[in-house]
Amino acid sequence: MARPEFKTDLPVMLAPPERRQGEPLRIKLWHGIALFGFCVLSSTYVFADDTQAPASALSVLVKWMPLLLSGFLFNIVISFCSMALGTIVGTALGLGQISLIPVVKSSSWFVTQFFRNAPWLVLLFFAMFLLPFEFDLGFVVIPFPDWVKAIIGLSLPVMANVSEVVRGAVRSLPSGQWEAAESLAYTRQQTLWLIILPQCVKRMLPPWMNLYSILTMATVLASVVGVSEVMTLTGEALAAEGGRTDLLAPFYSFVLLIFFVYCYPIARYTVYLEKKFAVKD
Amino acid sequence: MKFNALVSALAVSAIALTSGAAFADVLDDVKAAGVLKVGVKADYKPYGYRDPSGAIVGIEPDLAKDVADKLGVKVEYVPVVSSNRMQFLEQGKVDLMIATMTDKPDRRKVVNIVDPNYYSSGTNVLSSKKAALKEWTDLKGKPVCGIQGAFYNKKTGQEFGANIVAFKGTAEAYSALQQGSCVAFVYDDSAIVAKTKDPEFADYEMPLKTIDDAPWGLAVQLGEDNFKAMMSDMIKGWHKSGRILELETKWGVENTPFAKAMHEKYK
Repeated sequence: MARPEFKTDLPVMLAPPERRQGEPLRIKLWHGIALFGFCVLSSTYVFADDTQAPASALSVLVKWMPLLLSGFLFNIVISFCSMALGTIVGTALGLGQISLIPVVKSSSWFVTQFFRNAPWLVLLFFAMFLLPFEFDLGFVVIPFPDWVKAIIGLSLPVMANVSEVVRGAVRSLPSGQWEAAESLAYTRQQTLWLIILPQCVKRMLPPWMNLYSILTMATVLASVVGVSEVMTLTGEALAAEGGRTDLLAPFYSFVLLIFFVYCYPIARYTVYLEKKFAVKD
Repeated sequence: MKFNALVSALAVSAIALTSGAAFADVLDDVKAAGVLKVGVKADYKPYGYRDPSGAIVGIEPDLAKDVADKLGVKVEYVPVVSSNRMQFLEQGKVDLMIATMTDKPDRRKVVNIVDPNYYSSGTNVLSSKKAALKEWTDLKGKPVCGIQGAFYNKKTGQEFGANIVAFKGTAEAYSALQQGSCVAFVYDDSAIVAKTKDPEFADYEMPLKTIDDAPWGLAVQLGEDNFKAMMSDMIKGWHKSGRILELETKWGVENTPFAKAMHEKYK
């Protein structure tokens, strides 16, 4: 970018040189190909010298691929539902944190801090073993399968993190917005809904998407509590192949790859949005 | 006084009887729902595992299917693992559990294990020929791979002093054994015999004497005595007709001495 030329004898203050031109660290297509190649190589290395292998690891993987992908679809469903549930409850909790009523404020703060500082897996176990497997409402019995419990268990930390995101976004707005609204005789509720929150949305979007990415990667935790998602199915596929050790690397690499392919575009888009919404000084 | 005690004892037992009868029988529930939910393994070839389409197949799913056919309902397989199978049955997530579970007295307190036993297996280890194990006590103080939730982990650890490293699945455990993370892998003897025939494991052997040749029990919930009686007849029927032997052949297992002996006994 060419800077305007000034011709003067007087001392002038020039604008500082612009840093961060372009994107120095950005994954290009060839990175992905290299990663894929690495996975294939690392998986073929193990049995390269084994000439009488019953079936090549790749062909076995292809055979199981539809099942594994359907398992991954389940991971995505879990992540979507957890995110939706966590966002709804988390937003309410975040607004509670900026409430003027002391009881609401302190209890929201406590709940947020509690769930934000608890390990995800522990929360998942709690949801698994504390919730009943069905709810008997007297006239109808609502089944409560494991994957629903997993959704609830994973939405707890999401809820706490969304709560902090909302609180942070509201706090990050210049106080002038509140004052201006007050001087125009808006009530607090009107100020919040009509002035503050609309401005918060774009500030919240990047951290919210980051959180979604992290949540998606955390859905494999559900395998520990017996949900038939991609990790569980991978383990079962390996067992069905008779515990062949040369299959471990290709199968887990495949799981790694599908998560990467899904999460990386989200990360890219988040960076793009962060840049777009960045406050320019 | 004595008379009073007798009367109250009778009253109590009468209440117990009537309440037992009034208690909804799981068989009625199953018939009403039209589905029998059976907890089976999904990671234990050939007793219960997934085929590439995602369906659970194997010896135990076939047995479960027999039960459902007898009741005239559909069968639903619920994948369980060793560490959660008894909880699933207790909570009623499954009506019946046929999940490679070894019949142990402490387990009989938690679930209703049906007599006679339907299958049996023993415990042994797979280890490198270089390790040159002779006795179980040779494992003392050494790392030994195992599967999470298997009952013989405890015994191998406590009685023989091995340090158990428990894995999620067999592939992980075999891999750890090959990488030298542990000197031996403690597992069911029938699976180990099959593995020693694998060319990749040519340098490995099953060096010890099989211990704990223990029967497997299928189980129903505590208190479900009608279902238990029915299952008991089913198992006798399986042994009588040689169904277990037939399934072993179908799923590629050599006929086990236990299955042959039971067939002889009930023939």
